[in-house]
Amino acid sequence: MKSPTVALCSSDRHFGLLPPRRREPSKSAAAEDRAATSVGLGIAEINATVGGLIRQGRPLPVVLTALCQLFEATVKGFSSSVLLLDRIGTRVGNAAGSSLPDSYMKQLEGRRVSWIETPSGATISAKTPVIVLDPVLDALREGQEAAPTAAPGLRLHELSPILSLTGEPLGIFAVYQRESNPDVTRCPSALILQFTQVASAAIERMRSDEALKRSAVLLERTQQLSSTCCFSWRVETDEIVGGSKELCQLFELDPADVPVTLELIGSRIHFEDLPSFNEMIERARGGVSDFEFEHRLRLPDNSVKYLRVVGHRTRDQEGQLEYIGAVQDVTHRRHTEEALAKLRAELAQAARVTSLGVLTAAIAHEVSQPLAGIVTNASTCRRMLAVDPPDVEGARETARRTIRDAERASEVIKRLRALFCRKGTSSESLDLNEVTQEVLTLSLSELERNKVIVRIELARELPRVQGDRVQLQQVILNLLLNASDAMSGVDDRPRQLVIRTEQDEQDRVRLSVRDTGVGFEPQAVDRLFDAFYTTKSSGMGIGLSVSRSIIESHKGRLWATPNDGPGATFSFSIPCGPQDVTAGVPDARSLSAIRTSAVTNAEKGHLRGL
Amino acid sequence: MTVMVKRPLVSVVDDDESVRESLPDLLRQLGYSVRAFSSAEEFLASDCVRETRCLILDIAMPGMTGPALQQELRIRGQEIPIVFITAQADETVRPRSLEQGAVECLLKPFSDTALLEALNAAFRRAARSNARDI
Repeated sequence: MKSPTVALCSSDRHFGLLPPRRREPSKSAAAEDRAATSVGLGIAEINATVGGLIRQGRPLPVVLTALCQLFEATVKGFSSSVLLLDRIGTRVGNAAGSSLPDSYMKQLEGRRVSWIETPSGATISAKTPVIVLDPVLDALREGQEAAPTAAPGLRLHELSPILSLTGEPLGIFAVYQRESNPDVTRCPSALILQFTQVASAAIERMRSDEALKRSAVLLERTQQLSSTCCFSWRVETDEIVGGSKELCQLFELDPADVPVTLELIGSRIHFEDLPSFNEMIERARGGVSDFEFEHRLRLPDNSVKYLRVVGHRTRDQEGQLEYIGAVQDVTHRRHTEEALAKLRAELAQAARVTSLGVLTAAIAHEVSQPLAGIVTNASTCRRMLAVDPPDVEGARETARRTIRDAERASEVIKRLRALFCRKGTSSESLDLNEVTQEVLTLSLSELERNKVIVRIELARELPRVQGDRVQLQQVILNLLLNASDAMSGVDDRPRQLVIRTEQDEQDRVRLSVRDTGVGFEPQAVDRLFDAFYTTKSSGMGIGLSVSRSIIESHKGRLWATPNDGPGATFSFSIPCGPQDVTAGVPDARSLSAIRTSAVTNAEKGHLRGL
Repeated sequence: MTVMVKRPLVSVVDDDESVRESLPDLLRQLGYSVRAFSSAEEFLASDCVRETRCLILDIAMPGMTGPALQQELRIRGQEIPIVFITAQADETVRPRSLEQGAVECLLKPFSDTALLEALNAAFRRAARSNARDI
């Protein structure tokens, strides 16, 4: 390394930039500089002292002050200070160490160092030591800003940038010459470099410790907040390592039971979940890359906890199989979900009962008409045969009508069966037009009774959808009855209902029911679909909320829009299903065909078996 | 030459075709003269209003309903005894219509004896009201 006394003195610069130095000083330079060292403290000794303080967990200013004191003890006639930069690297931060008076250090806090024209700015931006040639001029230049020159009885000698391993400026190691000791004019640069490096190591170590501590605190806090606990599971030893405190809390283990083992955790698993838990463990031992499962714990007080566990395969430092993961207490969520599901079921049931009530009336009406015909015709027939002579021709005619009316009644029953007696909630490939027609058949008379003029506009070609026929019919029926109810008080305009099916631009099938009823207030649109929100005096206000949940379970959307004129339009759209009818679940009509094909296949299999 | 005894006229108003077909036959068997109409408006427009001794009237019909026709007849001063018939399974229908002055309200399907009793009651009421008039 070259001699550090490269003096640059131009009209506007009174400090000199030294060429950048490597982090490790060359042996020759060190030897050369050591000659000027009056008190010989070896670098190993300095490292040991500073390292000891760090290990003791002493704060950074204390460590750095000790370093400066060591410097003073090593180099006669010189003092030093460490100025730490803030995170952005533009100002002197508050943690600093020095062998100088505190009052001097205090006034440096927050000073800018970014100005390239100042020695401090230059050393940071050029990342190279700066020798101060004319402290007075430099002090003027630094002005009110930085004043490493302003310590009483001290003259700023050299500034050395403290750089991180990645070359980021962490601070400045400032060396001052004591005016009381004017004989010594030169401080060995290699020595300054060594101290700068120790300072750099100390700062980096302290900062990473700090970051570690912060992330540990963060981890603990977030674990608490999310009722989660991180863990690692060494498959070889079955040892569970992690926040043992949190693990103990989660599994309600005695903290004295550490280390936590898989066996210990297994003892807490709900016996019903034990087989699936063990199966999961075996799969993990087999080396699956990720696992995720939920299980219950049976705690000593017989309460039950729901846990969700996720794990990811990795290798520990020794190359042993290890899973890192997280356990989350989802008891609260599960309880909420269960309560919600129960509530939904109750709502759906209530809705079913209300719409069933309306339907029953419609059905009774439909069946009673032909029954009335049957009874009347049969009575007439009997009377015609009872007179003398019997009116055989008339009796024959009335008998014919009796049969016709009976057939009409059985036709109604058949339609009902088509509507309700399909297999439970199941998904099948459906023609929404057909589904709609079936609902209309049963509800038209009810609508007509309410003086509703129904216009049916079903799309000629409609792609099939995948869904539950009965559920969709409930929704359609609900929309029809709502529309009818909304118009029950309307007398000054036709009570017109338009039911329309169409395919929309996004490959979805849309059904809309438009009425000329009372409509709704624009601000009510958000509440329309809330359970128990109703504008009717006799409604429970659950039809729309249940309808929406049915449509959402079909991956669709149900919405309401006010009409330009009077009334409102309620629409839903659901995605088109597979268009190949045989791909869907067969409906009742194609069941016999399916059966035939199943038999055929079985026969084929049998033949193959031969 | 035999003297024709004029049979009392019973009018049937119902939008259901099978009722219009079957009920008149039964009523004729029971000895009445019968006319059937598919709507209240058709009945009002006919020449049978004054002559009708008993009206068998469906409650729920498109257009003018049974009770609306009852109201209209009252306004016109045509007090014809009315027997309502309905396929509505609502148990409040019958008491409501009796309250409104109907002689009877028969729920479909109804037997011939129930019909006969209702008609007898209607004619008894008509006779009482005629007696008062005299």
